[in-house]
Amino acid sequence: MLIASYVFLVIGGLFFLLGGLGILRMPDTFNRIQAGTKATTLGSFSILIGVAFANPSWIFKIIIIIVFIVISNPIGSSAIAKATYRSNHIPTNLVQDDLAKRGEEHDTN
Amino acid sequence: MKNLIAFVLSVALGVLMVLSLTNNDWFAQFGYVDLADRVSQSYIDKDVTGNPGEIIFGITSNPENGAANIVTSIVVDYRSFDTLGEVTVLFISALGVALLLNSQDKNKRLALNFKPNFMLRVGSRALFAIILMTGVYVILHGHLTPGGGFPGGTMIASSILLLYLADDQFRTKVKGFKLLEGVAGSFYVIIGLLGLLLATYFLQNFLPTGTVGDLLSAGVIPIVYILIGLKVGSEIAGIIDNFLTEEEVSL
Repeated sequence: MLIASYVFLVIGGLFFLLGGLGILRMPDTFNRIQAGTKATTLGSFSILIGVAFANPSWIFKIIIIIVFIVISNPIGSSAIAKATYRSNHIPTNLVQDDLAKRGEEHDTN
Repeated sequence: MKNLIAFVLSVALGVLMVLSLTNNDWFAQFGYVDLADRVSQSYIDKDVTGNPGEIIFGITSNPENGAANIVTSIVVDYRSFDTLGEVTVLFISALGVALLLNSQDKNKRLALNFKPNFMLRVGSRALFAIILMTGVYVILHGHLTPGGGFPGGTMIASSILLLYLADDQFRTKVKGFKLLEGVAGSFYVIIGLLGLLLATYFLQNFLPTGTVGDLLSAGVIPIVYILIGLKVGSEIAGIIDNFLTEEEVSL
C-alpha cells in the first residue's frame, strides 16, 4: 500500500517537473499552456492518488479535489488561451485559425 | 439645584475614593498582592479545557471549552465579545462601501469587454458549487480544524465573485444578502444575551461541550461560527456586488 503511494507520488513529482520545464522551454503562450495544464493535471492526480493510497480515509475529500481540478483546469486554460488570442499575442507561424473564420477580432491595442 | 447635586456627588465621590484607597481590604498596597487570589492567575494556570489534566482527542468529554482548535476557542469563546466587535467593523465598512458605491439602477452592472464563452459560463457554475461546499465545510469544522467563519465566509463570497466574473448576465439578490446579514448579526447578539441569561456573562458558552473532536461539540462555538460565516459571506458578497454595479455620481 505504502509502496504504491510512493510510486504515485514520484510519478506526480516527475510530471510537475516536466510541466515546469515545459513552461520554461516552450516558445509561445499556447505551447506553454498545453505543457503547464496537461502536466499539472496528471501530476496533481498522481500525487492525490498517492495520498489516497497512503491514507484511505481521505478518499472522499480527494475525489472532490480531483473533480475540482478536472473542471477548473480546462476552464482556466481556455480562458487564458482566449485572452492570449484577443490580446494579439499569437505566434506568427500559426497554421490554422478557426476563430478568425468565426469572426472573432483581436483587440487593436 | 443642579449645582448643589453636582457638588454633593463630587464630594461623595471624593470621600469614596479616599476611603477605598486607604482601605487595604479593597485595594492591596503596592507589592503586597497575592496573584493566586486573582482571576488572572487562574487563566495563567489553566489550559483552554479548564483544568491542567491531560486531554485525549475523542475521549475527553465536557471540558470547559471543548473546541479542538485552540484559536477557535479563544476567538469565539473566551474573546467572543472582541469577535462581535470585529463583525461590527466589517459591517460598518460594508455599509461605507454601499453608501459610496450603491447604484440606483438595480439592473445595471459593469459590462465585461468580452463575451464569455459557453464553457466558461457553465463550468464556472459547476465550480461555484464546489467552492460553496468547501466554504460551508470550513465553517462547519471551525471548532475542529483551522478555518472557521471568517475564511469560510470569504470563500462563499469568492464563489459569488467567480460567477460575476464568468457570466456577464449574472446579478445577485442584494436584498437577500442584506436580510441574511442582519438576521445573522442579530442572532449573534441573541446568543450572547442567552449566555447572560442562562450562564453568568455575555456570550458565555451555555450548551454542553460534548466530546473533544466530535462535529457536534464545543457548545455554542459551531452555532456562532455558522452565524459569522453567513454574515461575513453575505457582507463581502454585497461589497463585491457594490463594486461591480458602481456608477458615476455627479455631486
